[in-house]
Amino acid sequence: MLRLFSRRNVMAAGVVFFALLPFFANPYVLFIGNLALMYILLSVGLNMLLGYAGQLAFAHAALFGVGAYTTGLLKLELGLHYGLALVAGVGLATVTGLAVALPALRLRGLYLALATVAFAQATLWVFTHWNSVTYGGAGFRVPPLDFEPFTSRPDIGVYVLTFVIVLVSVPLGWNMLRSRVGRAWVAIRESEVAAESLGIDITRYKSIAYVVSAMYAGAAGGLFAGMLGIVTPESFDLFQVIVHFCMVIVGGLGSLWGGVLGAVGLVGLQEVLRAFRHLQEIAFGGLILFTVLVIPGGAVSLLKRYVPGWKEPLRRTEHDE
Amino acid sequence: MFAYLIASGISTGALYAMVAIGLVLVYRSTGHINFSHGELFMFGGFIAYTCFVILGMPYFVSLVVAVIGGFALGVLCDRTVYRPLIKAPALTMVLATVGFSFLIKGVARFFWGAREGGDYVAFPAAVDPSPIPVGGIMVFPQQLLVLGGAFFFVVVFTIFFRRTRWGKMMQATAENATAAYLSGIRVERVYTMTWGTGACIASAAAVLMAPLTLLSPDVGFNLLLRAFAATVLGGLGSMPGAIIGGFLVGIIESLAGGYIHTGLQEVSAFIIIIVVLVFRPAGLFGIRRLRET
Repeated sequence: MLRLFSRRNVMAAGVVFFALLPFFANPYVLFIGNLALMYILLSVGLNMLLGYAGQLAFAHAALFGVGAYTTGLLKLELGLHYGLALVAGVGLATVTGLAVALPALRLRGLYLALATVAFAQATLWVFTHWNSVTYGGAGFRVPPLDFEPFTSRPDIGVYVLTFVIVLVSVPLGWNMLRSRVGRAWVAIRESEVAAESLGIDITRYKSIAYVVSAMYAGAAGGLFAGMLGIVTPESFDLFQVIVHFCMVIVGGLGSLWGGVLGAVGLVGLQEVLRAFRHLQEIAFGGLILFTVLVIPGGAVSLLKRYVPGWKEPLRRTEHDE
Repeated sequence: MFAYLIASGISTGALYAMVAIGLVLVYRSTGHINFSHGELFMFGGFIAYTCFVILGMPYFVSLVVAVIGGFALGVLCDRTVYRPLIKAPALTMVLATVGFSFLIKGVARFFWGAREGGDYVAFPAAVDPSPIPVGGIMVFPQQLLVLGGAFFFVVVFTIFFRRTRWGKMMQATAENATAAYLSGIRVERVYTMTWGTGACIASAAAVLMAPLTLLSPDVGFNLLLRAFAATVLGGLGSMPGAIIGGFLVGIIESLAGGYIHTGLQEVSAFIIIIVVLVFRPAGLFGIRRLRET
């Protein structure tokens, strides 16, 4: 009873909820659920890079876009099977992530932030201006998906696919964070000099952080193209970066489960404000500012303090701030 | 063609230089980059728009009101973002200023955006808009006004920064905040002043620029990236470098847009940032010592 709301129970309840959602939800609610699952993938990937490895990179939305464009275009132009297109999308996003990582390894802090902001804008520019391939600013429609032997409704098909991917990749990421890799990331975040003197290969582990986070972003992008059925450059602009950042920050930087909670919680907010661009900006910008100023550890730091049984290794503790 | 491109590059470059000055000013004294600087610029432009177009005040009065409003907004940024996080790591500060920038952008969109036909509003020219010949090429009077205005503000700012008491206090704080504090300078006030002054110059730049382009809540981020490119090119933290970098970015953009491909005008700033940071992080004539954060 005392540990009713422990992390394990809450997560298990979440899994059960998302598993049962297709049975009772109407298509719109199902779509929101699907978005939430996709944002979980994004937030896990971003949290690894930003929260654990401490790399202030803005390239995440661009990689998300690369995944979405690759998947959508392969499906549209070559008529590739969605699964294959998705794998290709993840592949190209990962390669792009590696391409970002190589120069980014030389940069730190503000320099890294500036370079990756520029990279994100350049990618957006390519999406908007490379008309012959990306269909320019208006974007393109992805042909309807086909999950025929399993289900006749494509939205349920994408939902289940997203759910399965989340179910596999989030625990995978969690294990990775608790392994040598995750500990190396936290050491790099706290002090590169100290990490290096402990024998941690900084180049190697930073590259791993970029590549793994790009894989999550690419998978989320491919699923996004599939569930929305339309790909436009606007979905990957700087405001999206803010939405991703907000989820991770409000949930808790450097806490995988905090990021997951943030993703699920803020999808609802985004949907409510969908029609009001200015209110979205005020809400997400304000939430980032509020969290950073008032509860630097994010929502998860409150959970840790007030809810028994909410423990997490490698989290950012109070006196780190 | 060439002379025309250079001329328009110089006049936009002057604006970039003005925005970059504010960025460098804040960076030098606090060690942080203000990611909301572009939005301070945008907001200043909209304050002038309100005065000039909606309330019908003269251009010059609008400029003054916008500069004062920009100062107030810069002070607000200092009080709400910088002061509470003064000891926080660089990462936190970047996230906070990014959040603040979107907050301002949303507020601006609430007041001035989302009209029919998009978020753009036209800012009528302050002077006769027909082009006049200067030394064989046709230039818009507004471009001359921009150039003159930018020159004026840069000179005034330089005098302020080098000769006045406040300017010297800013320099001292930038050099060594602890030593400045020990010699009786109220460092916190200097920080407030620094944020305010930076936003001031950005607002003035916005008022000068608005008649040449259109004004929209999204314009700030573009200008911020141009200013980043300018500061990075000139060496992050170098004031003359930022001014020269601003002009260079303007000219490079204009030439790339004119001779290679029009689309390149938008993207050249990003390419400059990436190339300079990867291959020569100290900038063209930058400080040798590389700051880590």
